[in-house]
Amino acid sequence: MKIDKYEFPDDLYYDKEHNWARVEGDVVTQGLTDFGQDLAGEIVYAEVPRVGRDVQQGQPFMSMESGKWVGRIKAIVSGKIAEANEEIEWESTVINDDPYGDGWLAKIEAADPGELDNLMRPSDPAFAEFIAAEREKYDK
Amino acid sequence: MEMKLYHLGHVPWLESQLIYHALPRLDMEGLILLAPTEPYVCIGYHQDVTQEVDLDYCQAHGIPVFRREVGGGAVYLDGNQLFYQLLLHKDHPLALSDKGAFYRTLLEPVAATYRGMGIAAHYKPVNDIITAEGRKIAGTGAAEIGDYLILVGNIIMDFDYETMVRVLRVPNEKYRDKVYKSLRENLSTIKRELGAVPPLGEIEASLVSNYQVVLGPLERAELPPAVYDKVAELERTHTTDEWLYKRGKRREACPELKRREQQTKIATGVEVAQRMWKAPGGLIRAIMETREGCIAEVSLSGDFFFYPADKLEALEAALAGVALNAVESAIAEFYRREGIESPGVTPADFARALTGQGA
Repeated sequence: MKIDKYEFPDDLYYDKEHNWARVEGDVVTQGLTDFGQDLAGEIVYAEVPRVGRDVQQGQPFMSMESGKWVGRIKAIVSGKIAEANEEIEWESTVINDDPYGDGWLAKIEAADPGELDNLMRPSDPAFAEFIAAEREKYDK
Repeated sequence: MEMKLYHLGHVPWLESQLIYHALPRLDMEGLILLAPTEPYVCIGYHQDVTQEVDLDYCQAHGIPVFRREVGGGAVYLDGNQLFYQLLLHKDHPLALSDKGAFYRTLLEPVAATYRGMGIAAHYKPVNDIITAEGRKIAGTGAAEIGDYLILVGNIIMDFDYETMVRVLRVPNEKYRDKVYKSLRENLSTIKRELGAVPPLGEIEASLVSNYQVVLGPLERAELPPAVYDKVAELERTHTTDEWLYKRGKRREACPELKRREQQTKIATGVEVAQRMWKAPGGLIRAIMETREGCIAEVSLSGDFFFYPADKLEALEAALAGVALNAVESAIAEFYRREGIESPGVTPADFARALTGQGA
């Protein structure tokens, strides 16, 4: 789905913090959406989580910096960090350039598949409404 | 409800940081004005202290070093700087904007305070306040802690440039000298602009008055004891070696030469950098100041041969003002014009050294 200039792949799940989730079995890959990276501006650094760390849905687990602004990234599902994208510590602008591809943030071994129900799909009418409200809020 | 103003005067250096870290953890909004009693070095949340700060120098001179939860670079802070620290809940109307608008709205009171003193300062995106001549005159940074957005910054009354460059970890003295000159050129202070500093009380009153334009009436308040309890609690975590030495932003991902490379951000668009490239004919080292993607000043050295030798200085001069993405053609043209010979070192090698795209 494309909303204005922002891409939202149909096969992904989304939260209200502008994260996406790709579900493959028990492993959930998390990244920042196209809208989220635009809102952040040029990302100069991303601190990735330690593998093995437990994370909770909706709780901060990593941070990013843009324009001297330190923002916290919240986990899209609860579980254990299975893999972190260490490449983004070296080249964080890949999050801006390829948010759904090489700019992925972390892979989480999900503890509770039921938590996916808390997320949105592009086909949900609520999703387009949410993005519209966010675009108005941030004048995007 | 009116927002609280915590006007604290000079406070111990650690409190000048930990108080604003404590408030969001206690679910408190407010505007804090304070200055540190003692000088210290403060690094950005994502920095690697061992790469940024000369820790031996700081220890030998009793200068504490602190990692804040806010972004940006290493700074030397002292009592000649008035800190403003604004904490807004994420649902506060002023927090519901993108970063550019947030900074623009909330740094305008600071710019207005400078203008009130007769300094023609204005906001420059994304997060700078600059003089009419384009010099930075205030430091700023922001963070999200819990459900709060935090904007911190300082009004620089006077600045100890010498100590600032001394506390930084630099690869060599030539580099330190370049950082010093660049800082002097690109960072100004009230004292430099006006020749004298107005009384602190006047600056504070003006800043409060200007913040009331955007925040509404501010109610002066004392910090409740719970804040100091939280400060004491945070002191136990935020002054440990584990916190200070937390892994931070790494330098470029390349062994050998890259380890000796360095860059220091002076102001938005202005950097001092040391870069190297090992050409077949020898090592090229460039120490330079860049402004908005162009070389402002560069020193070239290394163990390569360059004939006529006295033309190396002329090459440095010829590169002033040249965009980094156009250096190779500028150097090639210089070679043709001056009949330069440099066995095993081509204009492309110099370009690689200057742009850092060689290794």
